[in-house]
Amino acid sequence: MKDTNGKAVKDIFIACGEGKRTFEVVNPLDENVKIKGRKMDIQIFEDPDGFSYLIYKNHKYQVDILEKSQNKYTIMINGVWYHFSIETPISYKRRKFLSKSSSSSKIEKISAPMPGKILDILIEENADVKQGEAIIILEAMKMQNEILAHISGKVKKVYIKQNDLVMKDDILIEIERS
Amino acid sequence: MKINSLLIANRGEIAIRVIQTAKLMGIETWVLKTSKEPNALYLSAADHVIDFSDHTDEILEFLDIEKIIRAAKDHKIDAVHPGYGFLAESPVFAQRCEDEKLIFIGPSPDAILKMGNKTIAKQLARKHKIPLLEGSLGDVKDPTEAKIIASKIGYPVILKAASGGGGRGMRIVENEKEIEKMFKMASSEAAKAFNDPAVFVEKYVRNPRHIEFQIFGDKQGNIIHLGERECSVQRKHQKLIEESPSAALDTDLRERMGKAAINIAKTVDYYSAGTVEFLLDSDNNFYFMEMNTRIQVEHPVTEMVTGLDLIEWQIRVAQDEPLPLKQKDVKITGWAFEFRINAEDVQAGFSPSLGVIEKMSLPKSKNIRIDSGIQEGAIITPYFDSMIAKLIIYGETREKAIQYSASALKKLWIKGLKTTIPFCKEVLNNSNFKKGKYDTSFLVKEMKIHYFQDKDAELLAAYFATYDFARRLKEDEDKSVDFGKGKSITPWILNKRMKSL
Repeated sequence: MKDTNGKAVKDIFIACGEGKRTFEVVNPLDENVKIKGRKMDIQIFEDPDGFSYLIYKNHKYQVDILEKSQNKYTIMINGVWYHFSIETPISYKRRKFLSKSSSSSKIEKISAPMPGKILDILIEENADVKQGEAIIILEAMKMQNEILAHISGKVKKVYIKQNDLVMKDDILIEIERS
Repeated sequence: MKINSLLIANRGEIAIRVIQTAKLMGIETWVLKTSKEPNALYLSAADHVIDFSDHTDEILEFLDIEKIIRAAKDHKIDAVHPGYGFLAESPVFAQRCEDEKLIFIGPSPDAILKMGNKTIAKQLARKHKIPLLEGSLGDVKDPTEAKIIASKIGYPVILKAASGGGGRGMRIVENEKEIEKMFKMASSEAAKAFNDPAVFVEKYVRNPRHIEFQIFGDKQGNIIHLGERECSVQRKHQKLIEESPSAALDTDLRERMGKAAINIAKTVDYYSAGTVEFLLDSDNNFYFMEMNTRIQVEHPVTEMVTGLDLIEWQIRVAQDEPLPLKQKDVKITGWAFEFRINAEDVQAGFSPSLGVIEKMSLPKSKNIRIDSGIQEGAIITPYFDSMIAKLIIYGETREKAIQYSASALKKLWIKGLKTTIPFCKEVLNNSNFKKGKYDTSFLVKEMKIHYFQDKDAELLAAYFATYDFARRLKEDEDKSVDFGKGKSITPWILNKRMKSL
């Protein structure tokens, strides 16, 4: 890629994965993309059936964008998904700065791990809960699942009531860490 | 009586499976259409469709016994096949079919009733000296009674729904502190799922193998077994991978367990297909668990190693024919696996993954059989269970079957939602599974991670996300400047696009 004066410029992006894993990608649209400082030969193609593939080191990988919004991506490769946020060098710096300055909150939200129906709520507001204690029974696909408190503390807020239908990631309750 | 027309009172892959055999036998097939999936694949597989779309009752379409019987009578259908699930295990349905002179493809109402109630089934087994686990001799009234029995037989114990199955209404209790809470949960789950809150207590065998025997009987009183299936790859008592035969059995053990399975079936003069489930402990002691009085999800592995069509046998027995084979003629050849491809997110604790099957690419070979009830464009809804397909693989030996399975799973691609394919791959990658050394604790104890990741997958995913992001940025830039510039395309992109043509 060249700028208006015909000088080569670098397009640098940082894909931030889970567990603070990052991948620096230089010139992703170019033939000779560099990932983590290594030149890699990856080809993208689509077959007539509508599947997209990456070819790398003579292996074929089925690839699909499950979700994208702004710079957040969920990519599925051979059935396994990965979350990334794509940053430019500047936004990456800001992100690092922001994550350092924000102190960890005392309030923990527990959200629904799967869509289903609230069969029973075993706690009430202001109740003390211990880590590992069952707090909600969620029924999904005819199975009853216990939702456990992942921290010890006091129940600040209960957002649901019995027989409510919830979607995945709906916030169910808030616990204040003790 | 010869069956000329058959109503399949079920949906999905099992409806299609039954239709296939019925057609081969020259039987006219009928299915029920519901408003929940008006474009389902099973509808196009059948000769005739009865429309239940206007059904608005509280009871689900496939649970409405009277409505189904009326439909069969109205259309002068000879017989009803219930598939697996609720109707297959309902003695009321079987009895009502009998009353109305409809042929029910399955065992007698009496056999369904007795074997469907685990307490009665155990009493029958005890009377006929079939090995059993210690436990309550019947239903347990309340947590206090459960506590007394548990302290007598020792923890851990398991609480089970008397009318249950499929892992619902089941709770393992490790110590006395938990028993009250667990009792309530098991009982309420049982009441909800099976309309019967009755629960019983039993000694819990840690890490057993789940071995079940396929048995078959006819109305002339012959009962034989068609070998075993191992279903120890389970999560929360839900089977995920099955195989036949089992690596844990030798000829002697197979003969003893097979005989026990036949003896259980004899106690209720069983006919049609049935499955007798056993737990096998690490010292090769086996214990009768329950008998399922229907065709099972995992019946294809038995069909692969015996070369038989179990649905055909069910239909023949229902029209009063004797079994076509004697025990000594049953030959088990080779090895078969079944992988349940479920719409579940294995990276998020196997939670349901709802959505649309955008694309599917299925592997094809003479060793591969795929039983599926869906096609591209199918919507996976929360109304039905999460199974979208069964991948069944045959090999001459267990090693070969594993090898074929691994390569078939690599070629099975589903676009649009998350499935258990990466889970199946990871199981095949496990050295103890490869050796056949596994039990029902496999998922929890043996598997550190529940999905298989290709070595460079995360890096490639990062690249693809960045590629798409950069391309969008570029498109935005191109749009914002003059049209002349918008037409030009970098040679790199052009090159890539040409490759994708």
